[in-house]
Amino acid sequence: MARPRGTDGSLLASLPWTLGALGLSVAPHVPYLPAWITFAFFGCAVWRYLIEKRRRPLPSAWFRAALALACFLGVLITYSSISGVGPGSALLAVMASLKLLETRKRRDQFVLLFISIFLVMSSLLREQYLWSLPYMLGAVTVIMTAWLRMSASPIESAKQSFAIGGRLLLYAAPLALAMWIFFPRLATPFWAVPIDSSRATTGLSDTMSPGDISSLSLSNEVAFRVSFDNQIPDGPDRYWRGLVLTTFNGRSWTGREPAISTTARDQIVTTGDPISYEITLEPTRQQWVFALDMPVMWSLSKTFMGPQQQLARSLPIDQRVAYKAISHPEYRVEADLPEVYRNWYSNLPADSNQRSATLAREMRAAATSDQAFINAVLRKFNEEEYYYTLEPPPLGSNPVDRFLFDTRSGFCEHYASAFAVMMRSVGIPSRVVLGYQGGEINPLGGHLIVRQSDAHAWTEVWLEGVGWQRVDPTAAVAPERIDYGASGAALEGLGDAWGLSAPSELLHRLSLSIDALNAKWNEWILGYGPENQQNFMKWLGMDDPNWRKMMLTLIGVVVSLVMLISVLLMLRYRPPARDEASILYQRFVKKTGLEPIAGETAIEFGRRAKEADALPDDVIALITEAYVDARYGPYREPAFERLKVAVGSIS
Amino acid sequence: MSSIPWPFRNAQGIASSLKTGVSERVRQWARKRQGSDASTTRLGPGRVYILPTGVGIVFGLMAFAMLLGSMNYNNNLSFVLTFILVGVGFVSMHQCQRNLVGLELSFSGAEPVYAGQSMRFGIAVTNHSRNARHGMRLYCDGALSEIEDLQPGESRIFVLSVPTTERGWVKLERFGIRTLFPFELFRAWAWLHMDVTGLVYPQPAAQAPDPPPTMVAHGHRQHDARGEEDFAGLRKYHEGDSPRHVAWKAFARSGQLLSKQFAGADTSSQWFDFDEIASVDVEQRLSILTRWIVDADRTLEDYGLRVPGAEFEPAHGEAHRRACLEALALFDEVSG
Repeated sequence: MARPRGTDGSLLASLPWTLGALGLSVAPHVPYLPAWITFAFFGCAVWRYLIEKRRRPLPSAWFRAALALACFLGVLITYSSISGVGPGSALLAVMASLKLLETRKRRDQFVLLFISIFLVMSSLLREQYLWSLPYMLGAVTVIMTAWLRMSASPIESAKQSFAIGGRLLLYAAPLALAMWIFFPRLATPFWAVPIDSSRATTGLSDTMSPGDISSLSLSNEVAFRVSFDNQIPDGPDRYWRGLVLTTFNGRSWTGREPAISTTARDQIVTTGDPISYEITLEPTRQQWVFALDMPVMWSLSKTFMGPQQQLARSLPIDQRVAYKAISHPEYRVEADLPEVYRNWYSNLPADSNQRSATLAREMRAAATSDQAFINAVLRKFNEEEYYYTLEPPPLGSNPVDRFLFDTRSGFCEHYASAFAVMMRSVGIPSRVVLGYQGGEINPLGGHLIVRQSDAHAWTEVWLEGVGWQRVDPTAAVAPERIDYGASGAALEGLGDAWGLSAPSELLHRLSLSIDALNAKWNEWILGYGPENQQNFMKWLGMDDPNWRKMMLTLIGVVVSLVMLISVLLMLRYRPPARDEASILYQRFVKKTGLEPIAGETAIEFGRRAKEADALPDDVIALITEAYVDARYGPYREPAFERLKVAVGSIS
Repeated sequence: MSSIPWPFRNAQGIASSLKTGVSERVRQWARKRQGSDASTTRLGPGRVYILPTGVGIVFGLMAFAMLLGSMNYNNNLSFVLTFILVGVGFVSMHQCQRNLVGLELSFSGAEPVYAGQSMRFGIAVTNHSRNARHGMRLYCDGALSEIEDLQPGESRIFVLSVPTTERGWVKLERFGIRTLFPFELFRAWAWLHMDVTGLVYPQPAAQAPDPPPTMVAHGHRQHDARGEEDFAGLRKYHEGDSPRHVAWKAFARSGQLLSKQFAGADTSSQWFDFDEIASVDVEQRLSILTRWIVDADRTLEDYGLRVPGAEFEPAHGEAHRRACLEALALFDEVSG
C-alpha cells in the first residue's frame, strides 16, 4: 500500500516545537547513549525539518523499514538486552528517529510527544540532580506547547501557544504538588529492574592489594553526607566503618561476602555517650553500609551486621538512601575471643614477606607487652623515614617486605597492610577495616561531606582483656591526614597548582554552597520516602498516618483544588463587568460639564449634551450609542471596546 | 468493507450498529432532557457533555504506567512528572468544558438552494467573555464546519453544509458544537435543537421543452423624438434580435452574444403555466417550471407563473423570482 509521501509545509508551525521537545528529552541521555544513536537521532531531526521546509517527499517505506531493522539490531547488539533503563531509553530514541521520518500529518506528532514524555521519565530514573527538576519542568512546558501547536489555528502565534501551555501548567502545579505530598510512598519496590549498569561505580573495592595499583584516584565525588543531631565529632574520631578484610594471601587482603551474624551486635559493649546522626548515602551498587565506628543501631531496611561488625544490606544500594544510626565512639568488642578465632585472625601464608615477620618477632622480643610492641611499631613508622604519598612505587611480590625495607612510602593501605602483617607475625589477631575517615564540615548546611577521596584503611588488633582495638598506622606517619582530612589537602593542592589561593578559596566556598543545596535537595525532595512522609504528615497534624488516611486527604485536596480551578476558569470566561462601561460613561459625563438629571436616560442626556455643544456631535453620538449597546445590546463586548476607545479619545 | 475478511464483517456490523444504537439513545435522552431551544441559546454548564478522546485514554494509561514506575523506583522526581501530567489531565478536562459554557448560538439563516445542492446553514456563535475560546467546530449528521477560534466578544458564523435531495423545507433537527481544546485529551460538546430550517427549490430540469412563446405587449411601444430608447441593460441574444442591438464591444470582450435592452422598448412577457405542461409527473412539471424561471430570470424577461391555487403576474427581479420558486418549492397538489 503506497501512502502519500509528499510534504506541504503544513507541519512548519508545530514541527520545530516537537523537534525541540524531543531534543530536550533526548539530551540528558546523550552521555549514556552509544554515539551512533545520538547521531541517528539528531541526524533524523535535522533531515525531517529540511524535508518539511523544502517540501520534499519523505523517504520511501522500504528505506524506512531497512533503517528500522538496522537500528533495532544495532540496539540489540549494543546492549544485548532490551530491558532496563539504558536499552529502554536507547530504543525510545531510535523509535523517535524512525517515527520522525514517517510523520506526515499533524496528528502523527502525538506519538513523538508521548515518546518525549517517556524519555524525560527515564532520564529522571537515571539521575536526579538539583537541576533535573527545573530542566524537567522546562521540557514539559516545551512538550505541552508542541502539543498545543499541533492543533492550534494557523493564525495563533507560537508565543500565544506557549502562554496557554504555561497557564495550564500553572493551574496543574498545585494539583501536582498536593498529589506529590500526599500520595503514599511504598517502602519496597514491586520488582527490581536494573536502572543502568553501564555507569562505572566509584566506591570501595572488596579487596585490598597495596602495591598493585600504584596510585589512588582522588575523586571529589560525594560518598555520603551526614547530619548530626548534636555536635559533630572531632576529626580524629570520624572513622566511618565499611567492610572488614580478614584474610591475607601474601599480596592481597580479602574479606567475606556480606553475611548475617546473630552475635556480632551483642558483642559490642558500649561506654560513654552515643552519637546519633543521619547518613545520606550515594548509590554504590554494593551492599556495604557505612556508619561511624561503632554502630549499635541503624534504621535502613534489610540491613544487618556481619561477624566483624560491618553493616551490609541484602540488596545493592542502587539509589540514594538515607538512614539514621547511633554509634558509640567508646566501645569494647569481643573481649573474649576463642582460641580458634585467635589463630584464624593471625594466619599468614607461610612463605611470604619473611623479612617483615622476622622484624616483627625481633621487635616483640624487645618489647615488654603486646601494647608496648604496637607502640614500638607505630613509633618506627613515625620516627624512621616513612613517607605518606598518594603515588607510591609498585611493590611486586612480597609487597610488605618491599614496602617496609625498600620503598618506605605509601598511603593508608600500605601502612594498614604492613601493620597487620607485623601483628599477625607475632600472633596478635588483627584485621583491616576499609571505610572513610574524616569528612568536611559544610558550614552552610551544618552537615559533614564525606568524599571518595576520604576513603581510608586502618587496622584493628585484638588484645587480651581489651578486645578489638582500632589502630591507625597512617596516623603515625601522616597525622595531618587524620586531623584535617584528605579533601582539605586535595583542595589546597589545587590552589597551589594554580598559583593562586583566593580563587580556589572562592571556588571552594561556591562548591560548599552548592553542596549545602544538594544536601537539602536530597533530604527534602529525593529523600521524601515513607519515613519522611510519615513525619511530614504528623507535622501537618495527622495522627497515626497510614496510606488510607493519606489517600483520603489526597482525594479531598485534589477535589477542592480542581473545584477552585473550575471557578478560576469560570471567572476567566465571565463577561466583562458592565460597571466598567458605567465608569467610562461617567468620565464622559464629567467631561461634558453638564449635571445629569435624575431619571434621565443616556439617550436623553446625549441629546442635551448635543444641544449644549459640550463636545463634538459625532463624539457624543458615538459614546452614547456604544454605551447603550455595551449595557443593553446583544453584542456587548465589541460595544464596550468601542466605548473604551471613544472615551479614551476625549480624555 | 471489502478488505475485511467475511467472518469479521458481520461482527463489525454488529459493533457499529450497537454503537450507533447507543449513541442514538443518548441523543434522544439529551433531546428529551433539554427540550427544544430558542433561536438564540446560551450554553449553560448543565448541557455541555464531556468524554475523553482516544488520545486522552492513551494519555491516562501512560500516566498510570508512569505512576507504577515511579512507585517501583521510589523516584520522587518522576512522581513530580507523573503528577504534573495527571494535573494537566484534570485541568484540560475543565478547560475543555469551560471552553463551551457561556457561548451563545443563534441561527443566522440559510440561503434557499435548488434540490441537489448543499444547504448552507449559518450558525452564529458569539463569545461573550473576556478571553478567547479555541478550536470550536460545529457538526451535524453528515456535515462538519471549519475549526475556528473566537476572540473575546467575537461573533462568527459557522457554516454547516448539508446535501439536499427534495424540494420543500429542510429542517436541521439537531446540530452540535464541540471542542478538543486544549490538548485533545477530552471532547466537550453540546447538542442544540433549534428551529433551523432552509428552503429547497425544485431542481431545475436538465432538459426542458421550450418555454411557451413570448407575448409582446405592443401597448408599451413608444418612440421618443430621437427614435431611440434609454439603455436599460444587456440580455442574452435571441434569434430575431436586431443586429443593431447586439453589444459588439461586449462580444469582443467575452465572446458571448448579448443584446442591448432599452427601457420603454417592447416588453415581452411569458406565462409559465403548470397545467399546460404535457407531463404526468408533478415533480417533473415543477422541475421544468423551475428551469424556465431560472432561464427567464437570467435574460431579464418578464414572466408570470400560474400553478393551481396561485398566480404571479408577469414581472422580473429577485423578489419575484423568490416568490415564484417558493411557490414551486412548497407546491402541494392536494391543497393546491
